[in-house]
This record gives sequence, C-alpha cells and structure tokens, in this order.
Amino acid sequence: MSDGPVKQMGAIDEVRLWDPLLRAFHWLLVLFVVTSWLLGKFGPDQMTLHFWSGYVVAGLLIFRLVWGFVGPPPARFSHFIRGPGAIAGYMRGMFLRQPSYWPGHNPLGALSVIAMLAALAAQITTGLISDPDDYINVGPLASYVSSATRSKAVGWHGLGSTLILLLVLIHVAVILFYRFWKHENLVKPMITGKKLIRRR
Amino acid sequence: MRLILTAAALATIPLAAIAQDDPIRNTIEARQGFYKMLAINMGTLAGMAKGDIEYDETGASLAAANIEALAGYDLPSLFLEGSASGEVDGTAALPDIWEDMDDFRAKFDGLREAAAGASTAVTGGAGNVGPVVGKLGGACKACHDDYREKG
Ligand code: HEC
Ligand code: HEM
Ligand code: HEM
Repeated sequence: MSDGPVKQMGAIDEVRLWDPLLRAFHWLLVLFVVTSWLLGKFGPDQMTLHFWSGYVVAGLLIFRLVWGFVGPPPARFSHFIRGPGAIAGYMRGMFLRQPSYWPGHNPLGALSVIAMLAALAAQITTGLISDPDDYINVGPLASYVSSATRSKAVGWHGLGSTLILLLVLIHVAVILFYRFWKHENLVKPMITGKKLIRRR
Repeated sequence: MRLILTAAALATIPLAAIAQDDPIRNTIEARQGFYKMLAINMGTLAGMAKGDIEYDETGASLAAANIEALAGYDLPSLFLEGSASGEVDGTAALPDIWEDMDDFRAKFDGLREAAAGASTAVTGGAGNVGPVVGKLGGACKACHDDYREKG
C-alpha cells in the first residue's frame, strides 16, 4: 500500500460543489427534524406545532426529490448512488488518515443519505395516518386507512423516531470521524459550498 | 345447515361460560368497553368542534356529561393484577401501570379534572367545544403515552 488508492490521482482544487439551495435544504432539514423530534417527545399535548414542523420536513423532502433529478450534478442521485463495487472500492481507502477529496457524497456516505431521506419520508407517512385515540392529535389522513393500520401507525411512528435518532447520530459521528481521523472538514463545504476535491 | 348452526350454537355456550368465569378476561373486556364509551363521546365532541358534526347544544352537553360520569367511575379497579400485556393476550395495558399504580391513578385524576364542568362548558356555541376537547384529549394522551402499548 505504498501508493494507496487515492495517491496516484490528479491535482487538488477548490471547487464550488454544493449549490446554495442544497445547502439551505440541509440546514433547514436539520432545524426542522430536530424541532419535530423534540416537539414529538417533549412538546405540548396539543401537537399542532409538531404537525406543522413535520409538514415543513415533508416540503423539504419533496424539494430534495426534485433536486435529485434536475439539480446540479453533485446534487443528483445518479451522481452519488453507486453499486457495491464502487462502495467496496471506496471503503478500501476509508481508514487512511488522509482526506478523501471526494467530489460529492462518497459511495458509502450515499447510503447514509438515502437511508436518512427514506426514514424521514416513512416517518411523515406514518405520522399522517396515526390515530393515538386522543381525539386531538389524529393524523389528517388517518380516516383513509383501516382502524388497525391507524393504531399500528402510532407504533411505527415511535420506532421510526428511534431509527431517525440512530441514523443522525451515525451521520454526525462519521462527520466527526472525517474531521479528526481523516483531517477533512466536510461541514465547511456544506456551509460555504466550496470543497477541496481531487480531479480524476 | 341446521346441523352446523346447532353445533355452532352449542360450541359457543361453554366458551361464553368460560369467559364469564375468568376475572382477568372480564376486567380487560370491561376496561376496553369503558374506553370505547369514552371514545364514542369524544368522537361526538371532536366532530362538533371540527364541524364534521352539526353542533347541537343538547347533544354536546349529553356527550360531555357522559364523559363526566365515566370519569367518576373507579377505573383503576379494572386493572387487576395479572392483566397486563405480556401476561395475557388481547390487552394493550403496559406492565408499568402496576409498577406505579399511584401515577396511573394520577393520570386518571387528570381526566377527572379535565372533565369537571364539561357538560356546561360545551353549551353556548360550537366554538366552546374545541377547548374542552383539547383539555380532555390532553388527559387521554398523557396516559396513553406512558401506559398504553403502541400499535
Ligand atoms: C389513566 C389512563 C388512561 C386515560 C386517562 C385514558 N386512557 Fe385510553 N387506554 C388506556 C389503557 C391502559 C388502554 C389499554 C387498555 C387495554 O387494552 O386493556 C387504553 C385503551 C384505549 C382505547 C382502546 C380500547 C379498545 O378497544 O381496546 C381507546 C379507544 C381509548 N383508550 C380512548 C381513550 C380516550 C378517548 C381517552 C380520553 C377521553 C382515554 N382513552 C383516556 C389508558 C388511559
Ligand atoms: C437532524 C439532523 C440531520 C439530518 C436529518 C441530516 C441529513 C443530511 C442529509 C440528508 C444529507 C445529504 C445532503 C443531500 O445531498 O441532500 C446530509 C449531508 C451532510 N450533513 Fe447532515 N444531517 C443532520 C445533521 C447534521 C449536522 C449536525 C452536521 C454537522 C456536524 C451535518 C453535516 C453534514 C455534512 C457535512 C454533509 C455532507 C456530507 C458529505 O460531504 O457527503 N449534518 N445530512
Ligand atoms: C420529521 C418528521 C417527524 C419526526 C422526526 C417525528 C417525531 C415524533 C416523535 C419523536 C414522536 C414521539 C413518539 C413517542 O414518544 O413514542 C412523535 C409523535 C407523534 N407524531 Fe411525529 N414526527 C414527524 C412527523 C410527523 C407528522 C408529519 C405527523 C402528522 C401529520 C406526526 C404525527 C405524530 C403524532 C400523532 C404523534 C403522537 C403519537 C403518540 O401519541 O404516541 N408526526 N413524532
């Protein structure tokens, strides 16, 4: 491994990677997912604010879905969703103590991105059809599903909130791993848009 | 056909008899029936608050009076030892109830407080129903969050 998988490639440049809308999407998502989560667990009994915060997350996800097809290349799903070969290849260099200089979400990180987006979409769906039998916090679409489904949805929504917590903790842990193990700051690019990447 | 009906009728007799004798089954059926009665009256009030059901003062007041009456019942006595989910099938009552019966009682007192005066509070217009439903619903939620199995 004297010349590791990332060593013999091209020059490193600073480029505009994340477009402004994607960055706004990310930080608004953080704000409203955290708000929804905290309101769900600790908020007032009348959960109106929780519902509205959840609807904002739903709107953000719809934007992200569209942006994944028509946005600039680094935002597109086709740009970062890769097969098992690419993921395995990326993982070989994963623990090297050097930055990845990857031009976008790397093939492994893409799995985490998709998992978070899918878990949030599922969370909104179960929320919309939940009926916790309290006559004040009934999901607006609960009457369109069977009564067994709308009570089960409450349980799924609770499990989903734990899953989201786990995924976010992993997400943040990995960002810290890049920062302190790989000496690569991924957060700054998510703020300024500019990232050091290796041309290939 | 007649044979099948007779057989079916005969088969239900011993089952019904067993159900009658089983205090655990009885307590579960009774409290679930209790909650269904709460739910039916809440449904009337919530429907009027949202405008799905047309407001009528007598109907609203009756539904609220029913909830007041139910809240006066000694519901915790229907939570017999040995009737928790995990111990028997067909119940969503979490074992935590028996671990902290005092808090469970306090949650039920919460419903009693929310229900106090409801039958007069809902008179005088549809606009008065919403706040009552909000208070009552908060008491349902507070107890379900801690003591009712989800899903
Ligand atoms: C003191 C606690 C407590 C309060 C207050 C409470 N519930 Fe419940 N509720 C429970 C428990 C525990 C169960 C599960 C009972 C079982 O399955 O044995 C339950 C079950 C139910 C069920 C399902 C019954 C069934 O068919 O199995 C409904 C409907 C319900 N509650 C409605 C309400 C409504 C409406 C209110 C408020 C007006 C309310 N509950 C207030 C504890 C409570
Ligand atoms: C509720 C919390 C969070 C959620 C739901 C979340 C979700 C996401 C999602 C969906 C993406 C992919 C962006 C896209 O292309 O759409 C992403 C990327 C990213 N997030 Fe988060 N995030 C959260 C919290 C955070 C926090 C607290 C940080 C900072 C420490 C952070 C830093 C980043 C970074 C740096 C990226 C880009 C990763 C890369 O370079 O591939 N996130 N996040
Ligand atoms: C990002 C989106 C969301 C997140 C992270 C989230 C999170 C949560 C959490 C943590 C709880 C508490 C669960 C528990 O303690 O068991 C909760 C409860 C609830 N949420 Fe959400 N939620 C989201 C979206 C929604 C939406 C869009 C709706 C409905 C339109 C909704 C409806 C509900 C309801 C009805 C409850 C109460 C269930 C109960 O009584 O246990 N949620 N949510």
